[in-house]
Parts: sequence; structure tokens; C-alpha cells
Amino acid sequence: MQKLMSILWPSFLVAGIAEGIFFTLVDPQELLLFGEPVHLSRMAIYSLGFFAFWLICGASSLVTCYLRNTSDEVNHHPTHGHPGHA
Amino acid sequence: MTEQVTTKPADLASVPDAQVVKFMPRAEKSSDKPAEDEEVSLYEVRKKIHPRAVTGMFANMRWTFVFLTQALYYGLPWLQWNGRQAVLFDLVQRKFYIFGLVLWPQDVFYLAVILIISAFSLFLFTTVAGRLWCGYTCPQTVYTEIFMWVEQKIEGSRNQRIKLDGEPMSVRKFGLKAAKFSIWGAIAFWTGFTFVGYFTPIHVLGHEFFTWTLGPWETFWVFFYGLFTYMFAGHLREQVCLHMCPYARFQGVMFDPDTLVITYDVERGEPRGARKKGVEPASIGKGSCVDCEICVQVCPTGIDIRDGLQYQCIGCAACIDACDQVMDKMGYPRGLIRYSTEHAVKEHWGRKEVLGHIIRPRVLLYAALLGIIVAGLGWSLLTRVPLMVNIIRDRATLAREVEGGNVENVFRLQIMNTAEQRRKFVMTVGGMDGVSIATTTRFEIDPATTATEVLRVQAPADSGHRGSNPIYFEVRAEDNQDVFVHEKAVFIQP
Ligand code: SF4
Ligand code: SF4
Repeated sequence: MQKLMSILWPSFLVAGIAEGIFFTLVDPQELLLFGEPVHLSRMAIYSLGFFAFWLICGASSLVTCYLRNTSDEVNHHPTHGHPGHA
Repeated sequence: MTEQVTTKPADLASVPDAQVVKFMPRAEKSSDKPAEDEEVSLYEVRKKIHPRAVTGMFANMRWTFVFLTQALYYGLPWLQWNGRQAVLFDLVQRKFYIFGLVLWPQDVFYLAVILIISAFSLFLFTTVAGRLWCGYTCPQTVYTEIFMWVEQKIEGSRNQRIKLDGEPMSVRKFGLKAAKFSIWGAIAFWTGFTFVGYFTPIHVLGHEFFTWTLGPWETFWVFFYGLFTYMFAGHLREQVCLHMCPYARFQGVMFDPDTLVITYDVERGEPRGARKKGVEPASIGKGSCVDCEICVQVCPTGIDIRDGLQYQCIGCAACIDACDQVMDKMGYPRGLIRYSTEHAVKEHWGRKEVLGHIIRPRVLLYAALLGIIVAGLGWSLLTRVPLMVNIIRDRATLAREVEGGNVENVFRLQIMNTAEQRRKFVMTVGGMDGVSIATTTRFEIDPATTATEVLRVQAPADSGHRGSNPIYFEVRAEDNQDVFVHEKAVFIQP
């Protein structure tokens, strides 16, 4: 649970900032998806855009979390007892 | 409020034993607490904190801010201005309305400056008096305060709440919890609705809501924001400050030894210990702290301020109010816990010296920067021309010869009338001999609207030289000669 939050929350914050900057500079109606204009309302594009950003940032946090595992956690070394999943 | 610190020390007089002031074991130490009180929360296995309600000067101040900020937050979207919503961040039209000001995506600069001003104000306040923002105005504090008030009205005082949480589920417990959760839910919903009302006109939103025609995304965001409010203020509470808030992490760097923070006067308080009412601390070889732990019980983050300044302390001053009331009951002077500075405690400064040290280089620097930025913003807003013009050469059409020995270039013209009234504009061109506009030069544009036109510009074939020739356009409002824009462009001679 704690791990999940440390992935979801920072990515949520950063996604919010990214969303703000991106859509101030780019008008969603001018976006092209596979060369086609996007036939969605601005509201829908903003919302989907936010979740796309959240997903990307979340992926980054996930990798951070994954790489931060201690060597013990990776080794599952029996003499060190149970790896602490904290 | 049913539960006040003042009601407690009344029994000080009646119970002769030295232990009288020991009301409740503090949350962290108590081992007799039922296990249900421990909950696995998002960030840690934590003991649920049941803050005791508190009254006093700082509590009143907190409530004043709750009312001010919430009147502003809930009320502002309903305010009208010039026949439209006064404050509206219209995402669909991509225009921000803030009273008389209309900001376009091109004005992102202003938004950036406003953010910088907010940041600097925060630095300034934090340097002078610590976490004022956290203690009084942060939405996290404000909504927690409101939600806790509801909780207390329904479930009763701290002790009653602790007892209730320890009980097995019963009809009564279920009823109380259901009532609490529904009222929380209603507040959260209203908060979410208001939030969305800043981005879509709230009157329309209200109408759509009552006719069940609310768009899917609007509905989604109302509930999304509402859910966040509910979780943050109802359940996560101090954990937001401890684990989720970026400001809480870096506010410490703005502190210096002259920053006003909530301080426990160790010298005066220690050694702490229980005693009968009215006993002079010196006569029993003790300090002024009666070790009642009320300051711990009122603390929303569950810390003991007597352990010194901690990053968990959000500066809400609840412990000051609580301690002052105990001091009053004991007949001791107030201020065992008070706003003070590191220097002041060390050097035994009085109020005057503390206030005198507010003005120091760091504070002056922040204040000066803030002043300059605010002045700059004000000046640029006052002198802002409510007109924007965009002229791009049409790449699809080449420069070509037309009748009368002229060469024609085609431009795409965008005129944005950012004023709040309908305006007529006249356009002229110059910079080359004989250059003229072959299409219309007069435009009438609605308030806060963009007009897009195709502009055909002609010049004699012998004017200028082959290749690019610089020209300029001027767009001027008919009713006000000061409202004009000068735009450069390039005319191609083949
Ligand atoms: S720590 Fe953060 S969330 Fe908590 S009161 Fe301060 S600013 Fe608000
Ligand atoms: S220690 Fe005092 S000021 Fe700090 S959070 Fe707790 S009650 Fe508020």
C-alpha cells in the first residue's frame, strides 16, 4: 500500500503540473492523433490528457521504486531473513 | 463545543492526589487502547489520532480563516461581473476571466508571474512566522477543521470517540458513523461541485445538475475532487502533511533562528510533574509544566511539542490555547507554550526584541523582491493593450502578379479583441512604396473574441527589391487611438 502511494501520489502532482504547462501552450483542438484531428471535446481531451500524464509519470515512479530495492530484496538472501517490503 | 479544556481542570481542586492532571494517556504510549484503533493507512500503520477540541484565541483565529477562505471559495464562482461569471477559468473557450481581466493563452506570462508572487509570499510568511500557511489557510487544515467539527458534533468528545471506535459494531455505532460519513460526503460533494464551477460556468453547471444533464467529464471531476476532499480531510488528515505535502518538506530551509515558531519554554517548564492547583513550582522544585499532556491531546499531528520543534508541527497553535488554559487554572502566567524564536528563548528576549528582529536581511530581501515583482505586474497590467494581432504569410499561396502591374502576397490575419466591449479596428500597412491592402481594412469584433481574416496585400512590381521586403501593419481601435498594435511582416517580390 505504501509503495503504491509513493508511486501514485508524486506522479499525480507532476502530472498536474505537466498538464497545466502542456495545455496552456497547446490548444487541444489543434492536436493531431495519427495525423487526424482529434474528434473529442476540449474537456475530454484535457481529462484524458491528465490521465495520460499521470500514467507516464506513474511509470517513471514505478521504475524508481523498482530500482531502489535493496540488494537484499533482489537476492532474497536466506541468511538475512525476510526481505523487508517496507 | 462540548469538550473544552476549561471543563477539565475544575476537578483539580476536588481531587487531592498529585496525579489529578493525568486525564488521558497520550496516543502513542497507551497500551490499553483497543487494537481497532490501529489502522493500516495509506502510508503507515498508524494510531488513529483523535484530537481533543480546543478553544481560545488561536482557535478563534483558525475558525475566522475557515470562514473567510470558505466564503471566498464557495462564494466566488457565483459572483457576476459584466454579465458573466466574475472568476472563471474557462477551459473550453481557453480564456481566464478574473473580474475585469481576461487572460488568453498568450498571456501565460501573467499566470507565471502570479505563481511566482504566491511562492515569494509563502517564503516571506514562512521566514517571519513559520508555518502560518499550514496553520490557518491551507485547504488541508481548513477542511480537516470542518470535518473534525462534524465528527465531534456527531460522535462526541475525544474520549467518547475513542470509546466508540473501540466498541464492536452496533446499531448505535452504525447510525453515528453513517450520519458522519453522509455529512462529510455532502460537504465533499459541494466542494467538488464548486471546484468544477471555476472551470465551467457554475450557473450552467447547477442547471445541468438539477436536470440530470451534467456532462460525463464534469460529473467525473465533481466526484473526483469530492473524493479527494473526503479522503484528505476525513481519513488521511495529518498524513497528508507528513507524507504527501511538498511544502512541508522544504519549509524548514526558510527558517532561521529569528523565525517565530511554536515553542515550549523548556527552561520554565522542566522538570515537569503533576501537582495540586495553586502550588508554586519553585516550592516543590519543579517547572511550570504540570504534565497534563493536554497539549499532546489537542495536537492534530499527534506530536509532543515539549520535545522541541519538529517537522511534523504544522504550527496550528492548538497547543498554545490548550496550555494557556491549563496555566490559567493553575494560576501560573500564560505562555509556557508560545510563539517565540530560537534566539528569543536562548537570550531571554521579551516581546519587543522578538518583534524588533523580524526585520532582518533575509526578510528585507524577500519583501523587496516581492515588492518589485508585484509592482512590475501591476504596471504591465495597467499598460496592457487589449488587442493582439497575429499575421502570418499564407504559405499555400505564392506571391503572384495581379492586374495593374501589382504583386500580391496573401497573409492570414488574427485580431483578438481582448477588451470587454465590441470594438471597431482599422488596419493600415506601410514600409514599402505603394503597398496597400486589397481586402477590407475595417473590422468590428465582439468582446473577447478572435476574428480570422485572409489579407491580400499588393505592391507595385517595381517597388522594393527581389526577395523579402520588410513591411509593417498597424491595427488601431477607432474609439481609442492608444489601443494599437504594430506588427512586422515580410512582403515577397518574385
Ligand atoms: S503541511 Fe502541507 S498539507 Fe499540511 S497544512 Fe501545511 S501546506 Fe497544508
Ligand atoms: S505541536 Fe502544537 S502547533 Fe504544532 S501541530 Fe501540534 S498542536 Fe499544532
